Amino acid sequence: MDWEILQEGTDASGIERDAQASRTRPSLSLPTPHSRTHPSYITGSHAAAILSSHHLHRGAHAKAACPAVLSVSLVLGVDLISSRRELVMARCQGTVESLCQGLLDLDDDKFGAMCSAFGYLQEWPDLSAMCGANLGVPAVVAPLAGDGDDSSCSGSGGGGGGGGFRKRRPDTYLDAKGDGNDMSKRPRGKQQQLCGHGEMAEPGKGKQERPKASAKKKAEPASTAAAADQKTDYIHVRARRGQATDSHSLAERVRRERISERMRYLQELVPGCSKVTGKAGMLDEIINYVQSLQKQVEFLSMKIAASNPVVSFDIVEDLFGRQLKQACSPAALPAMALPAGQLEPPCLQNQMSPCPMQQVHAPAAAASTGFGLDMVVNNNLYPPAMASCPVSAATPESAAAGPSIEPCLNVNGTAAWDISSQNLFSGFDAQFQSVESDCLLDNLKMEM
Amino acid sequence: MSSRRSSRGNISEDEINELISKLQALLPSSRRRGSGQASTTKLLKETCSYIKSLHREVDDLSDRLSDLMSTMDHNSPGAEIIRSILRS
Repeated sequence: MDWEILQEGTDASGIERDAQASRTRPSLSLPTPHSRTHPSYITGSHAAAILSSHHLHRGAHAKAACPAVLSVSLVLGVDLISSRRELVMARCQGTVESLCQGLLDLDDDKFGAMCSAFGYLQEWPDLSAMCGANLGVPAVVAPLAGDGDDSSCSGSGGGGGGGGFRKRRPDTYLDAKGDGNDMSKRPRGKQQQLCGHGEMAEPGKGKQERPKASAKKKAEPASTAAAADQKTDYIHVRARRGQATDSHSLAERVRRERISERMRYLQELVPGCSKVTGKAGMLDEIINYVQSLQKQVEFLSMKIAASNPVVSFDIVEDLFGRQLKQACSPAALPAMALPAGQLEPPCLQNQMSPCPMQQVHAPAAAASTGFGLDMVVNNNLYPPAMASCPVSAATPESAAAGPSIEPCLNVNGTAAWDISSQNLFSGFDAQFQSVESDCLLDNLKMEM
Repeated sequence: MSSRRSSRGNISEDEINELISKLQALLPSSRRRGSGQASTTKLLKETCSYIKSLHREVDDLSDRLSDLMSTMDHNSPGAEIIRSILRS
């Protein structure tokens, strides 16, 4: 390790930066962890000090960098014990958070006293730029920076000390961010390798700080896909603490989010759905609603077809197509046997047949494969109609409209109305009405 | 995740799947395409658009019917019958 080079390159500039910082920012309300730790290490080893300050400068990654700082100082055998530092170090034992918290918990007075004891400025030295100027630094820095990246990727960053840094030093934050991005652009594998190196560099010592970071690393299998995913839409797909970050988990999370978003949307669309809790209840409600809407549409188109068959033929055909699927069931087909018996082949061809019954049924037979259900309706309901109005549907008018009208007759069971709408007879309205309502009810029942 | 949900809500994944397939059967597009299991996301999206189209259809039909009713002669047999239909 080129600790010497580091020392040479950074010490003077560090001081210089300190002075600069104090010029540009004469009064910082809160002392920063960086300036707190900086004096602690620089007395023992300048290299450690540079490293530590550099890493603490990486505002966003400061939390994770802290244990790294500790471990570096320990590796280098920096054994600087003063009462203040003991305080800091004692507080820093344990987790990353407690470390940062320990640094932050010191109040201004204590910190000022500490700084004055070490003869350092109470300001941030802008060491990140300085370290960038140092040739030897990046290589040494990498393992520690890797730690920082890992922890920030798994979403623990931002709280506590990190947030504080950003507020105090926006420019430093930007620096750190750029730095972090650079780091995250590095291949994951290399980073891990470097991290491993960092771990090797502190055998036996600093054990308390490591478990957290390594646990985070374990939780992150670090497949390149996952890394790419995180980079591309990490705003939406941000793993929270304790959440898995491999590609499958991320994809699954995205999927679930999308589904719940749609469910929310449907909840708005379906009335009464917001009261229901649970996915199953909501789906049930949605199904019911769709069914009721379908029925409503059919009912309305029926009514329109009844009142104006020629105009609304297209709608009826829609409806027809919809019914076709349901009517195609095997259960409905045997029923065709009955009406089929009444249908003579000539009638099938002859729309001008004088028998209204046949006229009604002929198209149904022509399309018989699909209309079993309708034929049942016809079979059950037309005989009374026939009894009441035996003749005369075969006016030229109805015959001319035959091809277009009759499908809707079959669908709706409103043949009687179509006939009567052409003013053929006015005396049978009562019967027609009863037939019609029966037909409608039947149709609806069959839809169920 | 699923085990937690099932223990809490007493609703198994199977039931949800059943409901989803039921919903799929109601949709015209999925019915046309066959029984291929589409993704839940797509299905829900389709459901949204289908419900919207049904809304539109119902509105359209209601308008038409009301137009027809207004243009129709009040004491014609046709109006009589439509009224009876509406009553039923």
